[in-house]
Amino acid sequence: MRIRLMSCLAICAMVVSLGFVGADSLAEAAETVKIGAIYPLSGNLARLGEESYRGAELARIERNAQGGVWGKQVEYVVADAPDTNAARSEAERLITRSNMKLLLGTYSSSLAYVATEVAERNRVPFFEFGAISDPITERGFKYTFRTCAPASGFGTIAVRVIAELAAPKMGMTPKDIKLAIVYEDSLYGTTCAKYAKAEAERVGMPVVANEPYSAKTNDLSPVILKLKAANPDAVIHTAYIADAILFSRQAKELDFDVKAYVGQGGGHSMLDWAKAIGDVSGFLNVDFPQFKINKAYTPGLDEFIKLYEDTYKEPPHSGHSLVNYFGAKVMFDAMEKAGSLDADKIREAAISLDVPEGQTCTGWGVKFDPKTGQNVRALPYGLMWTKDQEQVTIYPPEAAVAEIIVPMPTWRERGQ
Amino acid sequence: MISYTFIQVLISGVLLGGIYALISIGLTLIFGVIKVINFAHGEFLMLAMYFAYWMWHYWGVDPYASVIVLAALLFLIGAATQRGIIQPLLRSPASMQIFATVGLSVTLQNVALFLWKADYRTIQTAYQASKITIGELAIGYPRLVAFVGATAMTIIIFWFLKNTFTGRAIRAIAQDRMAAMLVGVNQKRMYMLAFGLGSACVGVAGGLLMPIYYVFPTVGTYFSLTAFVVVVLGGMGDIRGAWIGGIIIGLVEAISGFYVPALKEAVYFAIFILILLFRPSGILGLGRGFEEVAQE
Repeated sequence: MRIRLMSCLAICAMVVSLGFVGADSLAEAAETVKIGAIYPLSGNLARLGEESYRGAELARIERNAQGGVWGKQVEYVVADAPDTNAARSEAERLITRSNMKLLLGTYSSSLAYVATEVAERNRVPFFEFGAISDPITERGFKYTFRTCAPASGFGTIAVRVIAELAAPKMGMTPKDIKLAIVYEDSLYGTTCAKYAKAEAERVGMPVVANEPYSAKTNDLSPVILKLKAANPDAVIHTAYIADAILFSRQAKELDFDVKAYVGQGGGHSMLDWAKAIGDVSGFLNVDFPQFKINKAYTPGLDEFIKLYEDTYKEPPHSGHSLVNYFGAKVMFDAMEKAGSLDADKIREAAISLDVPEGQTCTGWGVKFDPKTGQNVRALPYGLMWTKDQEQVTIYPPEAAVAEIIVPMPTWRERGQ
Repeated sequence: MISYTFIQVLISGVLLGGIYALISIGLTLIFGVIKVINFAHGEFLMLAMYFAYWMWHYWGVDPYASVIVLAALLFLIGAATQRGIIQPLLRSPASMQIFATVGLSVTLQNVALFLWKADYRTIQTAYQASKITIGELAIGYPRLVAFVGATAMTIIIFWFLKNTFTGRAIRAIAQDRMAAMLVGVNQKRMYMLAFGLGSACVGVAGGLLMPIYYVFPTVGTYFSLTAFVVVVLGGMGDIRGAWIGGIIIGLVEAISGFYVPALKEAVYFAIFILILLFRPSGILGLGRGFEEVAQE
């Protein structure tokens, strides 16, 4: 009896609240523009998925405060996609059930890969703000637009840092620099290595060693000994965190020194790595924009940080929020220009956007390649670790706040 | 230059072998006595490494100094596991015991993830990158300590089993459970002792490995698979075999890693399969029939 009463009450409460929601959305329907947002907000990817979502959300709040799009307020219909199955079904649901005409997301490459596929099939434009895997924009999709830098940019920029910054400083040309490429052998490492090799060939830098290894290994001394035998001037290393720590510690043990050592994001971007090594000054890295960057090249960055802190009462956890904030702003501009959510108008408007580098909060420009939908004016930045275990921007020169230190200190010079 | 590099590869291999031996000794001891494969062995190592980390983090205890405490802690955890999980399942089929230890392993991983997050934690010590150099050859000090620790542990446990009354009782019950019980060996106590000892070994390993590696919730899986290969190679249940097996796998990994890196894992799993096919009792194994997990 009691249970029945309780369930009656519960149902009543649900009906009433549903009624309110219904009334609410009816009243507002005329003034809001709804967009589907797909992010991993639970599960393994949640930590950075949430940080990414925050960026897109901040752009929305800011846009609405400035009058929204076409004078209407923007609203996200948020879907949680912790894995690829969920990404597929949530994209379907947003498009067919919730009738979304535009989607955004996702932070993770595997999620983006399937979600964009569903969107393309339904002729719904999809703006990807954070996933870097190249194939996402290599399938010839008409309605997929990626605002951030792709993975191929990492290897490319790593070689440019060596060729354009390190070589001249040491009185060498790129052709004098013997390069070694070391990488963990999953898709991440092999992609970065492939593009590093291609760029090295383009600038005529000889590759003297090309060493893949499993990221789960307990011992990297064979790899380091082979590198030592090849005697390179510079190393480009793609690693997750465990192998990045192991490599550095064993390189120290075996006295393997080079003039320039460039990481590819991943483990080399993490504070856990820096803490494990101690003195990391002079280690180079390539990654998305960091907060230590020339503010004249990234107008609006300080405002973003302030908006973030005001909204979430804490500083940004990582640059993921920033690139999503940037991406959402680009998307709003495309919408404004298109005048409606019609897929072809959105496409036309997106392709016509033309912003040079150095004028946005990330420093990235906007120019979508009509064939791929990739923003060709977004490339990762060259970074350098400081003694205080912070990363400062060194490349491109217009965005730099510090000068490269080459040759980097040897292990012996670092002492303990 | 080539010969120098080759000798350095050998040194690295032997030192890596010491690390594998360190982890395998406890596993083989537990298997030899209780005939249970502890799939949570890697997670016990993970716990020991976390304990070492926290002792260093909060009280500044050097991981080498914490080894005794770690051994005691892990002894208790091991004995409790035996009493609480394995003992009630002793008469169940082997597959049940395997499920139980696999379950324990997954549970421990997730508890660690919940309590300590997925961060990679490392210890910074004054000696961690110091080394002994002979000409151009380098021997990393922490790796040398791990190697010496593994060797000392092998000798101590071997001596204990051979020469003490308790050790003999443990061996008796390992050889014939029924007969040992008939002559008055307390089976429950000996099993708890053996499981505790095996776990204490991995406690020592945790302290000795912390200056070399890092700890995170699934670090155990990086080592436990190799430890199984080592145990099979050395002969399941054989302490000296675990030491020798560790060194062999370390050498195989270093040499194949240097000359045929792409096949590194393939090489030692090929060895694993060959041993299972042609000498299932291992190099020093206790003889045919002993390799089975089956219960009477």
